[in-house]
Amino acid sequence: MSSRRSRQSGVSRISDDQIIELVSKLRQHLPEIRERRSDKVSASKVLQETCSYIKNLHKEVDDLSERLSQLLSTIDADSAEAAIIRSLIM
Amino acid sequence: MRSPSSLKQEFLKKWMMGLHIYGSLKKKMSLLERKKAIKLSADIAMASARNGTTCWSRALVANASKDEQDKILVQHILGTESERLMKKVSVLPLMSNKRIRSKKVLRRSYGSIRRAKKSNIAASPPNKVLAISIAKRLVRKRTLLLKSLVPGGEFMDEIALIEETLDYILSLRAQVDVMRSLANASELNNKN
Repeated sequence: MSSRRSRQSGVSRISDDQIIELVSKLRQHLPEIRERRSDKVSASKVLQETCSYIKNLHKEVDDLSERLSQLLSTIDADSAEAAIIRSLIM
Repeated sequence: MRSPSSLKQEFLKKWMMGLHIYGSLKKKMSLLERKKAIKLSADIAMASARNGTTCWSRALVANASKDEQDKILVQHILGTESERLMKKVSVLPLMSNKRIRSKKVLRRSYGSIRRAKKSNIAASPPNKVLAISIAKRLVRKRTLLLKSLVPGGEFMDEIALIEETLDYILSLRAQVDVMRSLANASELNNKN
């Protein structure tokens, strides 16, 4: 019983600090929040921005898949195009 | 953490491989089938770039493998990797029990913290107490939403969820960038 209690307080102590650190890391990657200078962005706001950002990314992938299905006449993407992109990414 | 450009390269390589395999499996495809093939190859490539190190990538592969048709493509792209990744996925339900227990412990400790805070701020206006509980409810609601968006999210505790989300967002961004580059290049190519 006592071991459970000590584990209890141990878990909550670690998670509070870690969560703050991770949340701030997450904030850095969200485009909208990065522009705001205020440090006091609530956790719920970060979560909301994160969710809508992921939904946007999902939608973009879907739209791009749609676009590519029309552009690529065969599913085997032209090696020339792949080479172009490889050079762009480098 | 891998650099974004190496992540993109890895993704592109695997994606092209997937598209090539799909094309060889099915010669004539409808527009819709092609779109699905492109998207599936892209997702598997994105997950594969993480090489089984993240929960979301394993969950993504597992979800894709549920469909009999898609499973074949998954196995082709991942090759021997797929066996290893499948094994890791089956561990997930076992881990979730442990996590559920630690979650309950966390929740109970949060409850006691909240009660302690409440007694401290008993003197402050009731609006503040209400605001805090509303904020907590919002966080809870949005955390659940996030869990539904990240593959395998339902198995993760709060800390893992945030870490996985970070990695997932970076991978999604790489995926989108590469796909957009190909789409733009194809468009230019078609115009000529």
